[in-house]
Amino acid sequence: MLIKLAWRNLWRNKLRTAIMLSAMAFGLIGVVTMIGFMNGMYGNMIDNAISWQTSHVQVHHQDFVDNPETTLAIVEPELITAELDKISEVIAWSERFIVDGMVASARSSRGVRVNGVDIDAEARVTPIASSVKEGSWLPAEGRHPVVVSLKTAQRLRLKLGSKVVITFSNAEKDVTGAAFRVSGFFSTPSSNFDDGNIYVRRTDLMAMAGIDGSHEIAVLLDDKNKMSNALAISVRDKIRLITSSENSVRDWQQIQPMLASIIAQMGPSNAILLGIFVLAMGFGVVNIMLMSVFERTREFGVLMAVGMQKHKVFALIIFETSLLGVTGATLGLMSSLGLIELLQITGIPLGNMAEGLGAFGVDTTLYPQVAASEYRYIFITVVLVCVLAALYPARQILKQRPVDAMAEKH
Amino acid sequence: MSIQTTQLRKTYNQDTDFPVHAVKQLDLSIEQGEFVAVMGPSGSGKTTLLNMIGGIDIPSAGTVIIDGIDICALKDKALIAFRRDNIGFIFQDYSLLPVLTALENVEFVMQLQGHSEKECRERAITLLDQVGLGEQLHKIPSKLSGGQQQRVAVARALAPSPRFVMADEPTANLDAKSTAELLDIMQQLNEKEGTTFIFSTHDPRVIKRARRVIVFEDGQLTEDRAQ
Repeated sequence: MLIKLAWRNLWRNKLRTAIMLSAMAFGLIGVVTMIGFMNGMYGNMIDNAISWQTSHVQVHHQDFVDNPETTLAIVEPELITAELDKISEVIAWSERFIVDGMVASARSSRGVRVNGVDIDAEARVTPIASSVKEGSWLPAEGRHPVVVSLKTAQRLRLKLGSKVVITFSNAEKDVTGAAFRVSGFFSTPSSNFDDGNIYVRRTDLMAMAGIDGSHEIAVLLDDKNKMSNALAISVRDKIRLITSSENSVRDWQQIQPMLASIIAQMGPSNAILLGIFVLAMGFGVVNIMLMSVFERTREFGVLMAVGMQKHKVFALIIFETSLLGVTGATLGLMSSLGLIELLQITGIPLGNMAEGLGAFGVDTTLYPQVAASEYRYIFITVVLVCVLAALYPARQILKQRPVDAMAEKH
Repeated sequence: MSIQTTQLRKTYNQDTDFPVHAVKQLDLSIEQGEFVAVMGPSGSGKTTLLNMIGGIDIPSAGTVIIDGIDICALKDKALIAFRRDNIGFIFQDYSLLPVLTALENVEFVMQLQGHSEKECRERAITLLDQVGLGEQLHKIPSKLSGGQQQRVAVARALAPSPRFVMADEPTANLDAKSTAELLDIMQQLNEKEGTTFIFSTHDPRVIKRARRVIVFEDGQLTEDRAQ
C-alpha cells in the first residue's frame, strides 16, 4: 500500500512531476551522449593505436627503444615466434626490420621510419593492406616496391609507379640507399603516423642494411576488453620467461603510456560530467520534494495521528522520491540507449574537427559507446541522489508532532 | 476501559509574557461506551482537550490515563501504536487521503495494524456498507460529497476497532440531512459495538443526541450533565 500511495502521490501534481521527469530525461540524454562521445573518441584512439601502432605486445632489443640503430636486432627472435605460435590468444605476429632514414623524390625529401615487413604477416597484424587507398599493398614479386601514405605522396609529389630513393645508415654505419617504386598509397586515422612511416619488404631492407634479423615483433591478441591490458600483460610475461634478458617485451600501455593515462582519466572525467548533472538534478529534486512534502504537512500529521509510525512516514517520502528517480532515470536512460544505438549506426561525423583529432589517431566519424555497467552506474547514482534529496524534507516532517503538523495551513 | 484525566493543563506560549491557558486543571472521567459531546464556544479548549486525550498533543501538566496507561508517559513509537489500536479520529475537514479510494482509505489504517489484505478488504467493505457507501467503494474523496466523505472518515476511524473515537466538530461542514445520517450511524455503532464517541461540537443537533454533555468555557469545565 505504501508504494501504491507513494506512486499516486507522485502524480498528484502531474505537470510538476512531468516537468521534473522531462528535465531528468533530457539531462540524462545529454550526459549519456556526452559520455558516449568521450568513450567513443578515447576508445577509437586506443583501438587505432593498437591496430596501427603498438599491437598488444611488442618485442625489441632493449637498447633499440631509446636508440633505434640498425645493429640492435632482437636476440634469438625464433624462440619468441615459436612461443607465440603456442599461445592460443595470439591471433598473429609480425617481424619488422625497422630503420630511420630519408625518402627522396625528384621534388623533395623527408625523414621517415622505414618499416621492412613480411607482407602477409603484416597484413594479419595491422589493417595496412586493406587501408591502401590507391594502388596495391606490397607485392611479393617485383623489384623494391614501397607503399607510402597519401600525405607523404602529397608532400613528395608522388604518383603510383614514381621512383623514390630511400637512404639510411647500414650495419657498418655507412650510408646506404636504393631506389624503390611506389606501389600504393595508404591512409590511416593518424596523420602523425602517416607523416612518418613507409613500408617496404623486410627482405629488401635487410639486404640493403647488410644484416638479417628483426628489430620489432608485434603481437596481435584476441582481446575483447580494449580498456584493459590484462591479457597483454599475461602474454608479455610468458614471452619474458623464454626470451633473452637483452630483449625488451612491453604491453601496449607500456609502449604508449598516454593510452594508459587516457584510460585512467576516462572514469574521473565521466564521473565529473555525471556529478555536475546529478548535483543540478539533486537541487531540482530537493525543490520538488520540499514543495510536495511541505504542502502535505497536515496530511502527514493525520497519518501519524491515525497510527502511522514515523519510520513508515519516512519510508513513504523515500518511496516517492525513489519512484521519481527510478522513473526519471529509466526514461532518460531508455531514450539515451535509443539515441546511442542510432548513433552507433549513423556515427557522428566530426567535420572540421576531424583534421585536428586526426593527429591523435581519431577517425573522422565517431561511434559513441556506453557500456552496460555505465548505464547501471548512472541509474544507481540518479536514484541515490533522489533519495538523498528527500532526506531533508523527510526529516523536517518527522520532527513535527501530529498536532503541530495538522495545524499547518498549507 | 475508561479515560481519566487528572489536573490536566495545556498552556500555549508558556515561556512568554502572554501565556494562553487552553485547558486548566481538568479532572474528567469518561467510561467505555459513552456518547459524549464536549461543547463550548470557539477557543474554549474543546479541540485541545480531544487532542490530549487522543494522544496527539502533549499536556503541559497533569495526566491522561486510558485503561490504566498514562499515555503522556509513553514514548513516541508506543504512543503512535496506542493511538493506532485504541483511538479513532474523525476530523472536521474529513482529512482523507485524496489519492486513495474510499475503500483504500479505510483499508489503509487497518494495514497499519498489520492485518492481512483479505481481512482489511472484508472489514472495509462491511464498514463502508454500514455507513451507506457500499456503492461508492472505488471513488476517490473528491468524487464524493462532504457528507459521504465524512462517512468514509467514520468508517476509517472505526476500521481498527478502536475503543474510543474522537470526533472534532464532525458535522461542521455538513448539511442537516447529512448530519442526521451521520449521527444515526455513529449512534448505532455506539449502541451495537460499545464504541465510545467523544465529540467536540457546538452543533445543537449533535448535543441533542449526546447522552452526556460536557460544557467547556475558557479552558474550564463548567457543566457536566447526563441527558
